[in-house]
Amino acid sequence: MRASTAGLLGMLALACQTPGKDGQDGPGPQPTWAASWDAASPVFRRLTVTEYENAVQDLLGVEVVTAVEPDVVVNGMRSLGAGSSSISQRGVEQYEAAAFNAASSALADPELHASLVPCAPQATVDDACAAQFVEQFGRLAWRRPLEQAEVDRLTGIVHDAATVLGTFDDGVEYGIAAMLQSPNFLFRVEQGEVGTDGVRRYTSWEMATRLSFLLWDSVPDEALLDAAAADELTTDAGLSAAVERMLADPRARRYADDGGAADTHGGLAAFFDDAYLLYGLESLSKDPLVYEAMSATLGPAAHEQTLRDLEYWVFDTDNDFRDLFTTRITHLNRELASVYDVPAPARTGFARTELPEDGIRRGLLGQVSFLALLAHPTTTSPTRRGKYIREHILCEVIPAPPAGVNTSIPEPSGEAPTLRDRVAQHLQDPYCAGCHKLMDPVGLGYENFDGIGRWRAIENNTTIDASGDLDGNSFHDAWDLGKLIAEESHTPKCVVKQLFMYALGRQPTDADDEALDYLNETFAWSGYRVRHVLNELVMSPAFREVNELDMTVDDTDADTDGGTP
Amino acid sequence: MTRKGIDRRTLLRGILGGAAVSIGLPPLELFMNSHGTAWASGEAFPTRLGLFCWGNGNIPSRWTPAATGVDDAWALSEQLAPLQDFKRSLAVVTGLDILLPNVAPHGSGAVGILTGRKTLEGPGGSTYPSPTLDQVAANAIGASTRFKSIEYGAKAGGGLSYGGPYALNPAEESPYALFQRLFGAGFTLPGDTPIIDPAWALRRSVLDAVGEDSARIRARLGIADQRRLEQHLYGVRALELRLSRLEQDPPDLAACTMPTEPAPEYPDLEGRAQLREKNRVMSELVAMAWACDQTRVVSNFLTHPVNDVLFPDAPMGHHQLTHDEPGDQPEVHAIVKHVMECFSDTLAACANIAEGDGTVLDHCAWLATSEVSLGRLHSLEDYPLLIAGSANGRLLNDIHVRSAGGESTSHVILSVLRAVGVTLPSWGEDDNLVTDGYAAIET
Repeated sequence: MRASTAGLLGMLALACQTPGKDGQDGPGPQPTWAASWDAASPVFRRLTVTEYENAVQDLLGVEVVTAVEPDVVVNGMRSLGAGSSSISQRGVEQYEAAAFNAASSALADPELHASLVPCAPQATVDDACAAQFVEQFGRLAWRRPLEQAEVDRLTGIVHDAATVLGTFDDGVEYGIAAMLQSPNFLFRVEQGEVGTDGVRRYTSWEMATRLSFLLWDSVPDEALLDAAAADELTTDAGLSAAVERMLADPRARRYADDGGAADTHGGLAAFFDDAYLLYGLESLSKDPLVYEAMSATLGPAAHEQTLRDLEYWVFDTDNDFRDLFTTRITHLNRELASVYDVPAPARTGFARTELPEDGIRRGLLGQVSFLALLAHPTTTSPTRRGKYIREHILCEVIPAPPAGVNTSIPEPSGEAPTLRDRVAQHLQDPYCAGCHKLMDPVGLGYENFDGIGRWRAIENNTTIDASGDLDGNSFHDAWDLGKLIAEESHTPKCVVKQLFMYALGRQPTDADDEALDYLNETFAWSGYRVRHVLNELVMSPAFREVNELDMTVDDTDADTDGGTP
Repeated sequence: MTRKGIDRRTLLRGILGGAAVSIGLPPLELFMNSHGTAWASGEAFPTRLGLFCWGNGNIPSRWTPAATGVDDAWALSEQLAPLQDFKRSLAVVTGLDILLPNVAPHGSGAVGILTGRKTLEGPGGSTYPSPTLDQVAANAIGASTRFKSIEYGAKAGGGLSYGGPYALNPAEESPYALFQRLFGAGFTLPGDTPIIDPAWALRRSVLDAVGEDSARIRARLGIADQRRLEQHLYGVRALELRLSRLEQDPPDLAACTMPTEPAPEYPDLEGRAQLREKNRVMSELVAMAWACDQTRVVSNFLTHPVNDVLFPDAPMGHHQLTHDEPGDQPEVHAIVKHVMECFSDTLAACANIAEGDGTVLDHCAWLATSEVSLGRLHSLEDYPLLIAGSANGRLLNDIHVRSAGGESTSHVILSVLRAVGVTLPSWGEDDNLVTDGYAAIET
């Protein structure tokens, strides 16, 4: 099996072989998976909010208009929270309401109705037609064929509801609601099967679910389920073909290139939302008296800008990931153009543009998204900006601050007019400096951008000094710092680690070291192209193999809710 | 002097009734129906628990009342001054500590006060080791009502109510959604005969099928994941039970009326959340939910640990101020006072509903606290603990007690939980483990 994987990787390499960065010595042979690999136990994931919303949209053709169980962030990522959180009592109520709402709206639309009910009922109660509907819808919603007992039980629900409420469609509504409230829909059970070679791998049906939530942020479509039914998704060729088709599908991205309509789908956008915390921009809180450019639409616009740039980079140019931190290419609408003080590239909506060559605003970290999100409501925060770069761009660990330390900083004064002067306390006190020297000097590099990301040269009548050093390499300003971050070896490794966590729903352990090494090598080999490493991750055993269930309890102390309702 | 809250109340009521005649009942009847603790039918009013949490702590030096004692012997501090209208219903305990290692700023305190225990480092990251105190109470006293517990908060950020490790009960932030949940379809006013909707039985059978799916999947999971599906199944069964209760006559409570439907949205004004207004509206809804006996345990997570909420007139977000503001932190002080104004509104919502010859406030205990004391230091010493309401006469009111030091906050938690009817041998673990309540506030 290992050999066949390697063979296929070789074939792919021919198709996508490009010179290394800047056409240096050429890429050399593509790295092959040779990791000593011990698959981890299965992760049992709950659908995230966007996965749920996209899935209902794909299954029923209607939008979810009510709230459902919120995502939980664990170790900085929602995708990790999905593997440890459950559904609360309120969540059960919310999923019930959302399921009935969506089902009744869909059935009220003749076109959607026709796609949901594949037969003409002969009477109010028509078990044969009901069973056909259950089998068709159930396969899509539960991402597998239903067992006969399941079909019978759900057909019984359709039967009873139609009998009591008086129409066949009432029955179908209850059938849909039952399937959408089921943990078969709301959770992902992926446990694999032991093959003839003794290796436990995800089944084709499970692979369909894994692929669709990773690449589309939603459920599989008919074609993917057909590939699963033909057991093609356990083979290299079948898997590769599926990935290629799915990445070319509109559901793979949230924003069509150059201003097209937004979709809520998009695995890559959902990944970067999670890894870079971009969802926070939907509820950006800034004092409009301090920041005149603040508006209810600024945060969402900045969110869109960053996602458009990321999608453009990966899908349209397939450029070196590291160049995202230095590029002048971006996508702006009028509101953002005004904050950046550049001409709007389009009268309405977003369009691609290049930021001025003589400015220092470059790359992802020169955008309102990062600059505003990692600031306070009325001021900047070098500490938060620096901490974010350490944790989310470089994947380093910053320990929590010690308790019992006086954390106040002096007010602006003649001796300390700028924030740099005021937070100097963090760096002088040895107790604080241990961690703050990792954060503040980096974050201070962005002091030329205020709390919503507008350029400023002066703070309290004093010229801002944005120079500093990143782990011994000095920088002059934010542009310089962007170049250092692009060159920093942790930067590409961090996005690989984040992708690994997002795709597998868990944190890497020591047992994953060699798998990560392989992914890092192949990322470098490709010239740091995200599509390449994404593809290699999916094709590798890391995404396809699984261990047995973990039946140990490592939190024996834990005491769960013991009450009865 | 033997101080018994019940006796004092009885006496007070007699005096008031006899002298001022401000209550429209003859003095004799007041004495006979002793503490306003009875339903119209003569059964005791249910005892309820409210948990009020806000983020980022207080400033102990401006929080602690100058004098200790009861009644007129003590006066409110400047930070507690907004609670003046309810001083007679307050118990303030100061000087207690969470006797656990303070390893995670804002984390150790939240887990320490709400479970008495250390944070659990589980496979999915740090979490609560056991149910939070509101859920401990809900498990014990919440079984007979439509909702075992209700969690809400104007800027709750999810809140801090946990049924066990990773089992968050997310708090409702929308007044409109809270109204719909409590008083929307399915709520029946006392005296009205429920009109039985045939859909209820059908919805129950759907939930039954969902429950079967959940049980079947659970059998195929590892131990930690089995617990997660148990929680899901628990919620499914609770909703089934709630639907079946719709068919029964509602509790017969004279105080129960239909509250006004809140506005659909409370948008930020000038970049600031309508914190106080949202809190007032939601608190009125849950106070009425108590009066209608829809639930007995509510949690109000006004703001979240580490929140950077822009309070009225504040120059920076709350968390930033706790760390960046120098000196004696007048801006942080103003925010703590604003939080207490919000708490006062929550208490007013209860006090404004007459129940028997008392109010809803008399029949509950609110416990108000935060995840740190002094935010600037993330301290767990001299912890903020406020109690409002006597829990049907089981807790002393109008009192400030100050511990000599070295005593655990767990004592107060144990007193409050026992007062609302939870039978518990102990609370907390390690140095923070106690088996006795805090006698000074118990009747």
